[in-house]
Amino acid sequence: MSPSFPLLRLPGVVLSDVFKSLDIEEKFKLSLCSKRISTQINNARLYSQNVIVDLCGLYQKIEVSSENNKDTFYILNFYECGARNNPDIHQYRIEERTVPVFSSGIGITLFWKNLREGFLFVLRYLLKIFQCKFSIKNICNTYLFENTISELLDLQLEFKKLSICFNLLKNQHLLWNQVSNKLGLVEDLEILSGSGFRPVFTSWPQEISITGSDWFTLEYLLECTCTTISLGGSLLENKDLDETLRKWKTGGFPNLKCLKINSQSIETTGTTILGMRLLELSGKVIQTDDGSKKATIDIGNGRIEMYVTSF
Amino acid sequence: MTSPASSSEVKYLIESSEGNTFDVSGAALRQSNTFNAMFLNIGADGPIPFTDYNEATLKKVFEYCEHSVNEENYSGPKHQDDLSKWDLNFFNEMDQKMFIDVINASNFLDIERLTSYCCERIARMLRGKNTQEMIKVITLPTAEELEAKQKVEEKKAAAAKKVAEKAAETAEKTETLEELPVQQLVQTTRNKLTRKYLSFSNE
Repeated sequence: MSPSFPLLRLPGVVLSDVFKSLDIEEKFKLSLCSKRISTQINNARLYSQNVIVDLCGLYQKIEVSSENNKDTFYILNFYECGARNNPDIHQYRIEERTVPVFSSGIGITLFWKNLREGFLFVLRYLLKIFQCKFSIKNICNTYLFENTISELLDLQLEFKKLSICFNLLKNQHLLWNQVSNKLGLVEDLEILSGSGFRPVFTSWPQEISITGSDWFTLEYLLECTCTTISLGGSLLENKDLDETLRKWKTGGFPNLKCLKINSQSIETTGTTILGMRLLELSGKVIQTDDGSKKATIDIGNGRIEMYVTSF
Repeated sequence: MTSPASSSEVKYLIESSEGNTFDVSGAALRQSNTFNAMFLNIGADGPIPFTDYNEATLKKVFEYCEHSVNEENYSGPKHQDDLSKWDLNFFNEMDQKMFIDVINASNFLDIERLTSYCCERIARMLRGKNTQEMIKVITLPTAEELEAKQKVEEKKAAAAKKVAEKAAETAEKTETLEELPVQQLVQTTRNKLTRKYLSFSNE
């Protein structure tokens, strides 16, 4: 059979199957071939792979990986300076703009006159090809994406992982005001706040991890609906843990699967928890009063961990 | 039309776009979800009309179905490297036109295994290639070629417009001097030139 093939003569359903057979980088490259191809890929988006788009460095590096992490490719954004004269660089259409593109072993490099604008065009383009969840894994990158985070949440886009370091932000209140009521869109929220800023929660992500959580009070903990709660540098005491575990036993924290608290105020000689001294709890399996769930407790120095399993 | 043998030997008559009929076993036909949905329970009194597809295509599709009757149940797409020698021969002996016809028929008949193998085969043509190479495979003009083509067209249109304007100018000068029949002649010429210009612009 001829090495060329009139792809667009195939029915949409078949095309969608062909797209599914390609890996995510091949699909991205194919989408650049023509507007009609990218429209077809866009039409098949709902049947496409789910991808995680990790924003690695300020506008310049985007890591796109399949949800099972089997497949990864990078999109690199650079300023356009003489890019059009390089014979290895070809022009393709991205979001109605003609963009010089260079493919290499390390990824796909795009050249833009305005890097920030180009970066946003790439994100929009990716959203048309794949079902995307975003991710900012490196907590040091928060300040780079201060505006982008709220823009993406405003578009109701989901975050697989969102790391926020309040210490690095110029306007902590502004970002938190924009983010705090959209935490339902965030799967895993990681917070570092050691600068005196106290975030107020109006909604909860699925998982939360707070480093420097001295401001995260018992009241917050009792309200928290996350499946995983991890608190580092906490000030919670034995009596707070007692109240927390009693609430869980009576049916509270219905989503909870894992609770980890590191606190200097957790003391072996302190108040009893569920009627037991702290060390007595170590390795204990406790049950909810209705018997529907059990949890294993692990105790360490200034640390308590609880892992829940259903019967 | 079915023969009254045991269920595994039941034969159905299939009618192609040429009006020709041929036999296909019930076991092979049952790989088509379209057939299952339309005829399996109610049966067919006469030939089953798959008249959007020609005989050669339908025979090729059902050749595949007959072959895979005894294979294990389909469990999702297979990698091309896992295809048997028979499968590879089956695909290799098709020319491109037949391959496209087979995909279309398989898609209509909803034969998952065959459609999936066909898609995998197309994906393989694109695998490991960059965009420029993909454009060549899927026979599309490149952005540069499109840009060059557009420039040529713009040039053509501009040149045609110039000619038309000049002709119209000349015709206007003549118009004032000539008698009515000549004016009509000029008008005809102008109309012709305008049409020519428009046809250039639309090319």
